[in-house]
Amino acid sequence: MRLHAFLLAVFALAFTAPLQAADPPVTFERDVQPILTRYGCNAGACHGKARGQNGFQLSLLAYDNDFDFNAITTEARGRRIFPANAAFSLLLRKASGQVPHGGGKKLPEGSLEYQTLEKWIAAGTPRTPADAPKLEKITLSPDSKLMTFNATQQLSVTAHYSDGTKRDVTHLAQFSSSEAVYAAVDVSGKVKAGPIPGEATIMARFAEKFAVCSVLIPLPSPVDANVYAKLPRNNFIDDLVWAKLQKLNLTPSEVAGDATFHRRAYLDVIGRLPTPDETRTFLADKDAKKREKLIDALIDRPEYADFWANKWTDLLRPNAYHVGIKATYNLDQWLRRSFRENKSYDQFVRELIASKGSTFTNGAVVMYRDRRDPAELTTLVSQLFLGVRLDCAKCHHHPFEVYSQDDFYSFAAFFGRIGRKGQGISAPISGGEEVVYLGTGTGGRRNGGVVKHPLTGKEMTPTPLLGKSLDIDPDTDPRDILAQWVTAPENPYFAKVIVNRVWADLMGRGFVDPVDDLRATNPPSNPELLDALAKDFRKNKCDMKALIRSICLSHAYGLSTTPNDRNQADLRNYSRHYRQRLRAEVLLDMVSDITGVPEKFDAMPLGSRAMEVWTARSGSVFLDSFGRPDPNQDPPCERTSDTTVVQALHLMNSPNLYKKVTSDDGRCATLAKSTKTNAELIDEFYLLAYSRNPTDTERAAALKRFDKKGATRRSVTEDLMWALINTPEFVFND
Amino acid sequence: MPTNCNGFSRRDAIQLGLGTLLGGGLVTALRARGFAAEAVNKPAAKAKACVLIWQDGGPTHYEMFDPKPDAPAEYRGEFKAIPTAVPGVNFSEHMTKLAKGLKQFAMIRSIRHDQGNHGAGNHYMMTGAPPRIPVGCGAFVSFHPSMGSVVACEKGAPAGLPAYFSLPSMSRSGGPNFLGAKYAPFVVGGDPNAAGFKVRDVALPEGLTGDRFDDRAGVRNEVDNLKRFMDKATGDPALALDEHYKQAYDLMNSKEAQAAFDIGKENERSRERYGRNAFGQRCLMARRLVEAGVPFITVYDGGWDHHTKLFETLKKRLPEWDNSVSALIEDLAQRGLLDTTLVIALGEFGRTPQINKDSGRDHWANAMSVLMAGGGTPGGTVIGATDKKGFAANERVLSPENFVSTVYAKLGIDPGKILFNAQGRPSHLVSDPTSIKELM
Repeated sequence: MRLHAFLLAVFALAFTAPLQAADPPVTFERDVQPILTRYGCNAGACHGKARGQNGFQLSLLAYDNDFDFNAITTEARGRRIFPANAAFSLLLRKASGQVPHGGGKKLPEGSLEYQTLEKWIAAGTPRTPADAPKLEKITLSPDSKLMTFNATQQLSVTAHYSDGTKRDVTHLAQFSSSEAVYAAVDVSGKVKAGPIPGEATIMARFAEKFAVCSVLIPLPSPVDANVYAKLPRNNFIDDLVWAKLQKLNLTPSEVAGDATFHRRAYLDVIGRLPTPDETRTFLADKDAKKREKLIDALIDRPEYADFWANKWTDLLRPNAYHVGIKATYNLDQWLRRSFRENKSYDQFVRELIASKGSTFTNGAVVMYRDRRDPAELTTLVSQLFLGVRLDCAKCHHHPFEVYSQDDFYSFAAFFGRIGRKGQGISAPISGGEEVVYLGTGTGGRRNGGVVKHPLTGKEMTPTPLLGKSLDIDPDTDPRDILAQWVTAPENPYFAKVIVNRVWADLMGRGFVDPVDDLRATNPPSNPELLDALAKDFRKNKCDMKALIRSICLSHAYGLSTTPNDRNQADLRNYSRHYRQRLRAEVLLDMVSDITGVPEKFDAMPLGSRAMEVWTARSGSVFLDSFGRPDPNQDPPCERTSDTTVVQALHLMNSPNLYKKVTSDDGRCATLAKSTKTNAELIDEFYLLAYSRNPTDTERAAALKRFDKKGATRRSVTEDLMWALINTPEFVFND
Repeated sequence: MPTNCNGFSRRDAIQLGLGTLLGGGLVTALRARGFAAEAVNKPAAKAKACVLIWQDGGPTHYEMFDPKPDAPAEYRGEFKAIPTAVPGVNFSEHMTKLAKGLKQFAMIRSIRHDQGNHGAGNHYMMTGAPPRIPVGCGAFVSFHPSMGSVVACEKGAPAGLPAYFSLPSMSRSGGPNFLGAKYAPFVVGGDPNAAGFKVRDVALPEGLTGDRFDDRAGVRNEVDNLKRFMDKATGDPALALDEHYKQAYDLMNSKEAQAAFDIGKENERSRERYGRNAFGQRCLMARRLVEAGVPFITVYDGGWDHHTKLFETLKKRLPEWDNSVSALIEDLAQRGLLDTTLVIALGEFGRTPQINKDSGRDHWANAMSVLMAGGGTPGGTVIGATDKKGFAANERVLSPENFVSTVYAKLGIDPGKILFNAQGRPSHLVSDPTSIKELM
């Protein structure tokens, strides 16, 4: 059989060689597979789906060459291929629509691609020799382009092989745009700009490689360079924000007022409102450096730790019914302690990834009680700490990333030798202690086992992403090595993903959005600034507080949310501050603080703050209405940050809030009884809820309320409190 | 402005020559064209309302509507197949009432897609659009408006009533996306089977009089002075909150809404008929809302992610589910509402053929079963089929796009229409607007 094919190939080669001396022979991997990918034959919606289409199955996007070769040449008793008369091959007759084909006429008879397939069949369906030049990369030309409204640009794609040869593969590439409204691309690779200023990334794919071209479409009518030169620059952040705005001809909004800045900083850095006295002091302060002083003071407040730990509980808090309540508590406390100590972020991550010991004594270990399968841990660790989403590569080559199944499972191999003893998971109780340690790797829960490639069954060696496989001493825990690699200064993703997260928290949107999806085809809106922040973060030894400080002290952070004519459609470049709805826990604490009536939570001492709640099993209609994530749901859901009617109704009518406003021990009752004048009361309420003084109009309107028939100081203060809580000025961070 | 909810179809986009607009942004330009009220290509509506029973987690097709009695035991599972009212069509053994009632609804056995995790599968089936980027199982994502939000936007509701309800929680990807918060579902939590069940927060708290509440609305006006950025392109989230307050006030003032919420007004027999459990009473609540004129109600029914103990769990759950869903269909029919009410039941995908080591089945998007009743759906129709072992849809293979288009077409909404996001970016309501003709 093999001899037969060989002879056939020799014969075919001998026959065709003189005619096309310049062209290398047509072979499967190099020439045929890209065509099947380009025309969608092996796409998920067609023969690439798990059971193929009408009995013909190909691997999704050609991730398994052997499988595909076999499917085409030998399956179905080989009737798909007819070397003696290539044009009679079912493969060609179907693809060209000569016989009925569910997918339609994909490769018209006589087209270039049709001819390639025909030649390949006639040549005896040769594989690409293992030592043939490898496809190393593809490039797009141009790789960046400044365009005007409605302009067009043809792209070309070049394949580069390991022997230095190049080939134009534009006709075999697939194109897509990240933002078609700004710039769309058609099947031939022609880009067309839209009628709005913005940016788009055009992706081209050929075989398993991709390349991108960034398209920038500025607002017409340029802005005088002096405008940008004169903008204030508090630190490197401003330089790079302004540079980006200049590229798009956008101009920044005005600076936010002191009161707005003060409230914003409190809510962003420590997740609570300033007290009226704190606001008065800040507003009266004449020091030119008062904003800097404020940020420095806030960062050292004790509330800082609970607020930032609360953000991490969204990412790591396990389902208490799954891991047990004590484990849930321990992980929560570990997170809070880490932020209280201002543990450097690389240390924080190393402790998590390399965690060992008992779930009862080391909260970080709980991550390994919650996530148990190496594949699951691979997805979690890569997404959380590297912003790399490997999910796709679990089953096939990632279609718009560089990662293959090999990469996925050799990364998973780092988690192969996790040994566990003690009580395993027996939901819904699972209360026992479990100990995580370095297993022998000989299989089973106690030893941990080898991670195998699901396709080839090959035992995988721990390998960092895009790195070389490691020869790890049997006495060394592979997770220790992984923790070092993830956090190493050379790792390009580690610092970027965390600075992007923090930036998104403080600025309303990440450079990369979603915040944990860093890849060439989802590029950051300001790569230079992301790099600079990451570098600065490294320089400061991964100090979270230093990072927050840098961002909060930039001029850009202090901009007003009010748009101008040149930036109103900008939602990605920080030409103005973006309003954010406050988090569930922050809002509930605000309501408790200003009404002077603390909330009661199950399993928490009286007077505990929402920010301190450590499990979603401490029920709260308020927190749930405002989108607290519930890890106890199956499947678990992420936090939501939008507004809903339910939230409005809850703030208006919930019996619990009604009690807070009307309580005899609450703020309204106390203030109504105090000796303050009516005008002073009103000022106090505005300072409590809005962290600013009322305007004269506002004060006058509120004063009139005291004169209404039947009104008492108590009833007016209650109504005022209710009204202030039920406004966007309260619910949003402006 | 590009009003999404007034018929704007593909043809308009071409006539408009979207490529030729200049300066000032697309939004402004479209606004200037003032094409708001053109209704083109509107399919004749059979259905006025839709009840979506959302089986979150991915219900098993094997143990419900697509049993494979001839498959080997490791695929077939523990349950037997039973005949239905349609000769030659079998359901699984616990679907007794629905099996008898198949003449009243249609069964689609050949929808498939390739999003094998919850976050992505929910998005695809709930919106008709696959997620734009890879999303994980835990994701609660939205890249495109959900069916409920589109219907709310297109059809509206009687004064004071939200047009889109979700009981007892929102489904993932069940949101409005760029249509705006106005079309987000009104979520009614709690268990309507519990004694003294009340829709929370829709009435004044005890102790507060109506007059005082009205006064407070006045105070609220006086203190609400945050500047709003009215141009949609600015993406000001405060506008959404304003919309929610308006809806909240409308709802509190609506007698119809308050009556529809009061499930205690229903007689004991009909409450029994739907089953005295939370799911059954939510189905009953859905019927009350249909009668009140609400065009879209999602009954969110979680916990269908049976990776373990599938048979043990479903033995208990399926008979109740079968009873409640068939009660809803029959009750609507008896009240003459089934012709104008579409009832659909599905989840994000089906489940794996091979029973796993924990006696469960895992995620499987190659096959799933979808129930569709009412709104002119020909009863007793079974569309498509999976192969002998239930691995994959292999006859009349349909996509989520086909399914969502069918729902829209039945409700009189052109699935091919163009929608605009806040930046004025056009996108098709459904990328492939071909509905399933056998169901029309």
